[in-house]
Amino acid sequence: MSRKQSEIQDTIENRDRIHVVMFFLSLLFLFLGLAILVRIWHIQATYTVDERVINLFRPAVQKHVDYPVRGKILASDGRPLAISAPLYDIYMDCTVRKAEYAETGKDSLERAWQNKARDLSVYLSNEFRDKSAEAYAKAILDGRARGAKYLRIQKNVDLSTLDKVKTFPLFKEGPYTGGFIVEKHEERIYPYDSLARRVIGYVKEQNRIGLESSFDSELHGREGYEWRRVTDNKRWVRDLDSTQVKVQDGNDIRTTLNVDFQDIADKALRAQIQADDEVRAGICIIMEAKTGAIRAMVNLSRGDTPQTVLWERENLILREVGEQGSVMKTVTLVSLVEDGYVKTLDQTIPTNNGFVPGGYNQDVHILDYQRETGRRDITVMHGFEISSNYVFTWLAETYYGKKPQEMFDHLYSYRFGEAFDFDITGMGTPVINRPGTPNWSKTTLGTTAYGYSVAVTPLHIATFYNGIANKGRMMKPYLVESVEKDGKVLKRFEPSALNSSICSQATADTVTRALRSVVNEGTATRLKSAKLPVAGKTGTARVVLSPKERGRSTDPYSDEYGRKKFQGTFVGFFPADAPKYTILVTVYSYPSHRNFYGGTKPALAIREIVDKLYALDGEWDATIRSTAALPQMEKEITLKKGLVPDLKGYGLKDALYALETLGMRCQYEGSGHVASQSPAPGTKAKADQTVKLILK
Amino acid sequence: MNLSTLWEGIKNAFKALRNGEFLLRIRADKYYMHIMYLFLLMWVTILLSLQVDKTLTKAGDNQAAIDQLRIHHAEKEAALVKLHSASAAETRLKELGVNLTLPQEPATVIKKK
Repeated sequence: MSRKQSEIQDTIENRDRIHVVMFFLSLLFLFLGLAILVRIWHIQATYTVDERVINLFRPAVQKHVDYPVRGKILASDGRPLAISAPLYDIYMDCTVRKAEYAETGKDSLERAWQNKARDLSVYLSNEFRDKSAEAYAKAILDGRARGAKYLRIQKNVDLSTLDKVKTFPLFKEGPYTGGFIVEKHEERIYPYDSLARRVIGYVKEQNRIGLESSFDSELHGREGYEWRRVTDNKRWVRDLDSTQVKVQDGNDIRTTLNVDFQDIADKALRAQIQADDEVRAGICIIMEAKTGAIRAMVNLSRGDTPQTVLWERENLILREVGEQGSVMKTVTLVSLVEDGYVKTLDQTIPTNNGFVPGGYNQDVHILDYQRETGRRDITVMHGFEISSNYVFTWLAETYYGKKPQEMFDHLYSYRFGEAFDFDITGMGTPVINRPGTPNWSKTTLGTTAYGYSVAVTPLHIATFYNGIANKGRMMKPYLVESVEKDGKVLKRFEPSALNSSICSQATADTVTRALRSVVNEGTATRLKSAKLPVAGKTGTARVVLSPKERGRSTDPYSDEYGRKKFQGTFVGFFPADAPKYTILVTVYSYPSHRNFYGGTKPALAIREIVDKLYALDGEWDATIRSTAALPQMEKEITLKKGLVPDLKGYGLKDALYALETLGMRCQYEGSGHVASQSPAPGTKAKADQTVKLILK
Repeated sequence: MNLSTLWEGIKNAFKALRNGEFLLRIRADKYYMHIMYLFLLMWVTILLSLQVDKTLTKAGDNQAAIDQLRIHHAEKEAALVKLHSASAAETRLKELGVNLTLPQEPATVIKKK
């Protein structure tokens, strides 16, 4: 074999070896690929986790999340309006040890368990008083027969009750023999039940309303976590080698609400609504004149029918944007007085048989007035007292007819054009039909003057009247005064003004006089005899019906049966001479053939509220100033043996002590201090001398 | 060191262990104090670890007790507050058949001139 042939032979052998190696490698990879596919199929289709194996992969530590305790919502005096505490649901596994007892073949064990279940039923019936012992026993034993592993015993049980239930027969034997199952859930407790519930609100998943929602970031707190390891005693303890974030409980919110005010207002309004099946809802707001702090905010309403429960269903004070009726006449009057168009309330205007030219309706009240008085003019004051639409239309058309924007500028300066910032979100946006807007017509100016064509919330109205009560300084209403943590104030919200001067003090005084006159001589005389003088204005407005309510009717204010929805309002402040609180009450009717005036139900509710607030404490002029000095003991009693001492001005105790020290006897009449004595001071005393004292 | 030497050493070690001479052979007596000190340290470490576990367990139990007290406190507070309103007092008085009502006039305050 030549050298060349030998090289060729070597090359062929090398190639063969490479081929073999490559063949086996490819075979190996093919095998591995198949193995992977088989393994995937095995894991997906037939593999079950072996706990012993999986335990080896479990971490030796577990993450434990600590949930914060939600902060409280407090009333202004610190009484809690909302507190967080867990409640417990109790269930029972009725099947516990049933199979085990059956395997032993001893009926006695099963009978003993069932007897304990009957004993337990008696205890449960006595504790919860919702079912008889027999009913509880039947439920448990039937549950055992059909294999119920999760029989509901009771929901929303507090801890004290739970602790008691844990000691009941069978349950005290724990989950493995007694079948005792407890589930804990955090709940919000409202100690005053429905009181101010709409203001307090709630946070339930996506449903968030009221202060609970607005101040959720403060109330919620921050979750914490720690890593825990198991000890040799099988107890979980904190793993000190791991990181930890401490849980931060939520902060408390101190509101401006006064529980007593809220309670009184709620009760008074409730009585007025419940007395009449045609009243759908009622609201009340009490605001501190000087600061704008809201002391009570009641929103009571029924459902679609009068039979439904009266409850805080919706925040009408904040959201119900509507035409407010005659309470807006005060707004017009303030503008007229402030602009100098009405210089005095005794200023007269012609009556014109109640007609204002330009398409306005006739005011029949003016015809009555003309008939009764025989006069052809009327004072602004009287027009305000009887709440004449004619008078205010005439004034608006006469003084603002050529420059309507001037009147609307006033409305904007009273913040009627915006949903201003408030502690609860969702304030309704007002609607003002000013010149240039699509709904502006030739009668809009006049109707605006008496409370139509402009829609605002009751809170806007109360805030404006509060400005009058506060001599022109319109304060921003607020509900939260501070954020606190364990009693320490973290943030304080000070009162602030929405408009530091909506009118001069003189204008405010003039308008207050008119408002006082409405109560004394006008449409709100039901408040005349209230225990504190009230100044305010009534308002009755028709409510625009929804298309569904209207049916086939073409009138936006009435349905096909001619029924209308009304809202009657009284808004004012008290005491009228030195206003401390502004109050607004509105009642809303179902569609009705009757009228609901502000001078009736709202005025009656306010009277009850004012009378009760008057009696609440002694701040209302019930202070007696001591004008005469009470007898005071100014000197020590001088005792000289054998002489009757001077006891005038001393109390009985001191006088007796003095006489007994000198060995004398005493007779006295009356109570108080010694006014006179006999014998006279300094008289020589006999043996066993008796001194007669007159006390006054 | 070759393999035979290593094997010889292992055999000797086993023999020494069997005869109870292993520690003497390796002259462990020279390090007696160190070994004892090491044992002491280990004992102290184990003891401290057990004490830490015990303390942490106790702290956990105490925290649970505090949580229970907090819940009890919140429940009692709510129950008490519920009674602390004019309406609740009026209702309770009515239930008890008492004629007492809320005051109709404010309390008179006497102030010095």
